[in-house]
Amino acid sequence: MNYVKDMREKLNIEYVKSELIKTAYGGKETFLASLHPRTLIIWYLFFGIVPWFIHNKIVLSCFLVLMVVLTIMARVSPLIIVILCAGLLGEIGFLLLVSLVFGGGLASLLPMFWLTVKLAVIALASIAVFTSMDPERFSDALLSFGVPGQASFSVSFGYRILPTLVEEFQRVFLSYRLRGKAPETHGIFYWRTASYYLKLLVLSFYPLILNSAKRSRTTVEALETKGFSYSFTNAEVKKMKLAHLTYTYKDPLFLIGTVAYISFAFWLGTFIS
Amino acid sequence: MSRSSLVQLSNVTFTYPGADRPVLKDINLTIYEGEFTAIIGGNGSGKSTLCKTFNGLIPQFYVGDFEGEVILDTMKTSDHSVAQLSRNVGYVYQDFENQLVRPTVMDDVSFVPLNYGLADYKERGEWALNITGLSALRNEFIWQLSGGQMHMLALAGALAMKPKLLIIDEPIAQLDPNHAKQVYDILKKLNEELGITIIVIEHHTEFIANYCKEVILMDQGELVWKKDVREALSQVVELVQRNIYPPQVTQAAYALLEKGHEDRILPIQMNEAITHFSPYSQRTETLPPFTTTSMAGKRELIRFHQMSLEYRTLKKERKQVLSNVNTSFYQDDLIALVGNNGAGKSSLLKLIAGIVKPSDGHVVVLGKETRKASPEVLSEAVSYIYQSPEEMFIDDSIRKDIEYYLRVRKIPDYELIVDKLLADFNLVDIQHQDGRLLSGGQQRRASLAIGAAMNPAIILLDEPTANLDVATKQQVIQMLGKLQNHVQTVIVATHDMQLVAEWANRIIVMNSGSILADGNRYDIFGDEDVMRKAGLVPPQILQLSRALCLAPPCFTIDEFTSRLDVVGAEGVQLELCKGYA
Amino acid sequence: MAKREVFQLTQSQKMMVFILSMSLYGLSNMFTELIPSLQLGPVELSVEYFAFIPLTLCILFHPLYAAIGASLGEIIFGELMLGQFGGIGEIEKFITFSLGMYIAGILVRNPLNRMQVGVAVMSGLIVHHLLGMIVDIGKVWVGVEELEAVKGLAESIIVIEGVAFLNDLLFSGILFALLPTLYLVPRLYGKIEPLLGMKPRNKDDRYTMKEIVTPRFVVIGIVLSAIAIIAEFLSETEFSFGEWEPDFMEMFGDWFIWIVIGVAAVIAVITIALMARKNRTQRSKLNNVA
Repeated sequence: MNYVKDMREKLNIEYVKSELIKTAYGGKETFLASLHPRTLIIWYLFFGIVPWFIHNKIVLSCFLVLMVVLTIMARVSPLIIVILCAGLLGEIGFLLLVSLVFGGGLASLLPMFWLTVKLAVIALASIAVFTSMDPERFSDALLSFGVPGQASFSVSFGYRILPTLVEEFQRVFLSYRLRGKAPETHGIFYWRTASYYLKLLVLSFYPLILNSAKRSRTTVEALETKGFSYSFTNAEVKKMKLAHLTYTYKDPLFLIGTVAYISFAFWLGTFIS
Repeated sequence: MSRSSLVQLSNVTFTYPGADRPVLKDINLTIYEGEFTAIIGGNGSGKSTLCKTFNGLIPQFYVGDFEGEVILDTMKTSDHSVAQLSRNVGYVYQDFENQLVRPTVMDDVSFVPLNYGLADYKERGEWALNITGLSALRNEFIWQLSGGQMHMLALAGALAMKPKLLIIDEPIAQLDPNHAKQVYDILKKLNEELGITIIVIEHHTEFIANYCKEVILMDQGELVWKKDVREALSQVVELVQRNIYPPQVTQAAYALLEKGHEDRILPIQMNEAITHFSPYSQRTETLPPFTTTSMAGKRELIRFHQMSLEYRTLKKERKQVLSNVNTSFYQDDLIALVGNNGAGKSSLLKLIAGIVKPSDGHVVVLGKETRKASPEVLSEAVSYIYQSPEEMFIDDSIRKDIEYYLRVRKIPDYELIVDKLLADFNLVDIQHQDGRLLSGGQQRRASLAIGAAMNPAIILLDEPTANLDVATKQQVIQMLGKLQNHVQTVIVATHDMQLVAEWANRIIVMNSGSILADGNRYDIFGDEDVMRKAGLVPPQILQLSRALCLAPPCFTIDEFTSRLDVVGAEGVQLELCKGYA
Repeated sequence: MAKREVFQLTQSQKMMVFILSMSLYGLSNMFTELIPSLQLGPVELSVEYFAFIPLTLCILFHPLYAAIGASLGEIIFGELMLGQFGGIGEIEKFITFSLGMYIAGILVRNPLNRMQVGVAVMSGLIVHHLLGMIVDIGKVWVGVEELEAVKGLAESIIVIEGVAFLNDLLFSGILFALLPTLYLVPRLYGKIEPLLGMKPRNKDDRYTMKEIVTPRFVVIGIVLSAIAIIAEFLSETEFSFGEWEPDFMEMFGDWFIWIVIGVAAVIAVITIALMARKNRTQRSKLNNVA
C-alpha cells in the first residue's frame, strides 16, 4: 500500500529539500530523542504490530490520540504530516471508488475508515520514533541489538555520504542540462518536459555509478587503514562505541506510562462496549 | 648515521592484478625515523603505489604479484594485517573526502583510536583537532565543511593515533597559497616537535624546497635516487627531462650558470636566491614600452549590476556569498578571478552560467537576463567547465562527450567539427576511451574540448589547473591559448598565480564576496596591500625580481634571465630593495 | 592468493559493491519518493523505483551484496532519512526486493547477452512484485474486521492490487528497470570493474554451489516462513474475531489482547533474530572467502 504519495508537485522543491535536510540533519532535542534507542525500538515494536490485531474502536481511538500527542512532541516536520495525510485519504478514497463499482456502496466506508485509523496509528508511531532517532542513533541501536558491525556502520555511513552524493548528482544532472536541449514545447500534461527530465534522471546514474565506484574504492581502502576491521576483533570496542547510550529515569518512566495508558485504553474499551 | 630505520624495502617488485607490467621494479629503500621526505615523479611513476607498500595495503589489500620484503618498524608487512600495521601509520589520500567516513567532525577524528579500543579516544580526537585548528568545528557535519577543512580533518584523523609515520598524498593540491602554507607549517611542527616521520607526494617543488629534508625521485616504477633536498632540486636537467620543474628561482639560477658549472648546488629558497643573484647585473637594453590594455570601445558581453547572492543555512541563517557586485566583462577579455577559498569566485561563474540566480540585482549575459533564462538556453552562449572533469563525462567515450551538445541539436556535419576539436586538443588517440579512465591531464584537455564544442561566446573555467603536475599545467595553459580562438572571452577562477601571471590580461581580485581590485597584472601584483588582503602569493620569479628591484618586474623565468647579465658584466649593478634585505 | 577457477571477490571488494549499491540506490530512492505520480483512472503512472541500479550491480558483481545493499539503502535514504520509515512494514519490502534482485543476478551467466539479461530482470521483478502483492492483500485481510461482510470490498482490494501489480511490472518495471539495465550493463561491463580493482566477470565463471545455495536458502526460508505466518494469522483472525469477539472480550477482558500482544512480540523478535543471523551467516561466509 502506498500511504505516501501525490500532492508533492504542489510543494516548492526548495522547501522540500530544506525540510528533508532539516529532518535528516537538524539535531533533535525532544523528549523522545532523549530516550535510549533500545527503549524506543521496544516501544515501537509494540505499536508497529499490535494495532493490526485490534478491532476495538475505542482502543484504536485512544492509541491514535497518544500517537498524535507524541508526534507533536517529536516536532515532526509538517511536510511529512501533510504527505502522510494526503496519502491515507487518497488511498481510502480510491478504494471506496472501486468498491462502489463492485456494488459495495457506502457500507464499505466504515471498515475502511477504521483501517485508516489503524494505518495512521502505525505510521505515526514509526514517524514519531524514527524522526527522534537520527540514522546515527539508529545505527547504534542496531549495534546494541547485536546486528553485525558492518551493517550498522553502513547505516551511519549512508548518513555521512548522502549530501556528497546529492551534490555530485546535481552537478552531473546539470552537465546533461547544460549540454542538452530541453524540448521546445511542454506537450500535453507536460509529458515532453516530464519525460525529458525523467530520462536525464536515469541517464545521470551512468556517470554517477562510475564515479561512485572510484570513490568507494578509496573509502574501503581507508577503512582498512583506519583499523575498522580490527575493531571487530575486540569486544571492548563495541562497549566503548555504545557507552554514550545510557538509560535514565526517563526510560522506565516512559515505558510504565505507556503501559498504564494502554491498560487504561483497554479498560475503557471493554467498559464502554 | 645513528638514526634507526622505520621502513625498509628490499627488492620490492609489484604488479597489479591484470596488469602486464610491474608498477614497482626492484625497489630498495630505507626511511629513517624523523625524516621529512618528498616523493616526486611524473604521473604513473608509482609514487602512490610505493607508499601503499609501507602500511601493507600492498600486498594485503591489492592482491597482485608481489616480490621482496617490506619491514615496518620491526614487523614484516606480509605477516601482519593492514589494520595492525596501520596503528603506527597515518595515511591521507589524494581524494581525502572519501576517507572521511563518519557523519560529524568529532566522530571522524576519534574513529581510528576508537577502532583500536583506546579508552582515551576522545582526548586523542580533541588533541588532533587542536593541532589542525579545527576545534571550533567539532560538532559540525562533514558536509558542512569546506574542501580545505575536510583536508585538515583527514589529516587530524590520521594524527589521532599519534603515528610514527604519516604519509600524505598531495597535501596542498586544492588549496590556496595561505592554506597550503598552513598545512606545511603544521607538518613541520609535527616533524620537529613530535618527531613524526613525514612522507609527502608532492608536485610543488617550492614547498619541497622550503619544508622537506629529503627527496625521492621515482620514474616508471623505478626508484632513481634519494637525495638531500638541496642536491635533489639542483638536478635541474634530470628533473626537467622527467617533467618535474624545480622552484622558479632554481630554474633561473640554472639558466644563468656559466658553462661547465652545471653540477653546482643552486639556490632553492627565496632568501638564498636573493643572495645568489645579488652579484649579477641588469642588462641595459631598453625594454619595449609597456601598454595597458584599454577597455574602452570593446563590446560588453556580461554585466553585473548591483548584484548580491545569499543563501539560507540549515539554521535558517542568511549567508551572504556575494554582495553588491558591479562589473562588466568585454570581448577579448582573458580574465582571472583570484582570491581565497570561499571568496565567491565559483559563485560568480555559476551566476554567469545561470546555474545560480542572483538574490538581488541583475546579471545580464549577451543581453539576456539570467534570472529569466534556463541553463539550457544560456548554454548556447556560455560554456561552464567544472573543476572536476569527471562530472562532465556523461557518455562512455570522450568523443561522444564532445559531440553530445552538437548531436542533440542535430548540427549538420558535426563529425567534422568533432574531428577538428580532437586534433586541436591532442585527443585523437584516446577519443574512444571513457574520460574517467584517463590521466589527469588528458581529462582536463577533454573537458576543455567539450566546452569548446559548444561553440560558446563565453567560456568559464573553475580551477583548470588544480591537481595537475607542472608539465601538464603548461599544456593546459597552452590549450587555453587555443581556446581563445574559439571564443570571445575566457573567465578562469584559479589559485594558480603562475597561470594568472602568464596568461590573463585582466585580473579580478575577490575577497569575502566582493571585488577588491580589478586590473592588469602590473596593477594587481604591484599592489602589495591588495595581495596581502586577498591572501595571494605572487609567483616566485616575480617576488625575486621585485626583491632585486627589477623594474618593471618579471613574470616569467625567460623574462628574468634575459634581463640579467653574468656577474661582472657591464650594466647596472643589482641592489636589494628596501624591505627585502 | 592462488589463481581462481570461479568468480570470487575479496572481502573488501564485496564491501565496495555493498556500499556502492546502498548509496546509489538509496539516492535514487530519495528521488523516486519525491517524484509526483500521475493517476489515470485505476492506472497509476508512478516512478516506483530505479531498480536498474541494483539490477545492474547484481548482474555485474556479487548479486547477494548488491541486493542487500540496495534494500538497506532504500531503508536508510528513502525512508529513515526522509522521516518516513515504516518500521516493521519495511522488513517485508527488504526481503522481497532483495530476493528479486538476487534472483535476477544469479540468472545471468553472460552480462553481454541481452536476452539473458532481459529475462533475468523480468523474473526478478515478478518475484518481487508478486510477493509484495500477496503481502499487501494479506495486510488488509488482517487489518479489516469482517472483511467478507462488506460487499465488494474483498474483490475491489484484489482488483486494485492486481492492477497495481501489472502497473508496477509493466510501467515502472519496463521503463525504470528493464530498459535502463539493458542500456547500462553492456556499457559498464569491463569498465567499472577496474575502477574497483577487480577483473570483469567472465561468461564461463560459475558460482559455486556454496555460494548459490547458502544465502538463497536463507532468504527463501525467511520469505516462506513470513508468508506462512501471515497465512496463519489470516485464517486465525477471521475465525476468532468474526464470531467470538463480543463474548470473548466480555469474558476475558484485556487478557486476550495481552496474548495477542505477546504473540506479536515473539514474532517480531524471531524475525529480527533471523535477520541478524542471516547477516552473520554472510559475514562468516565472507571471512572464509577472504
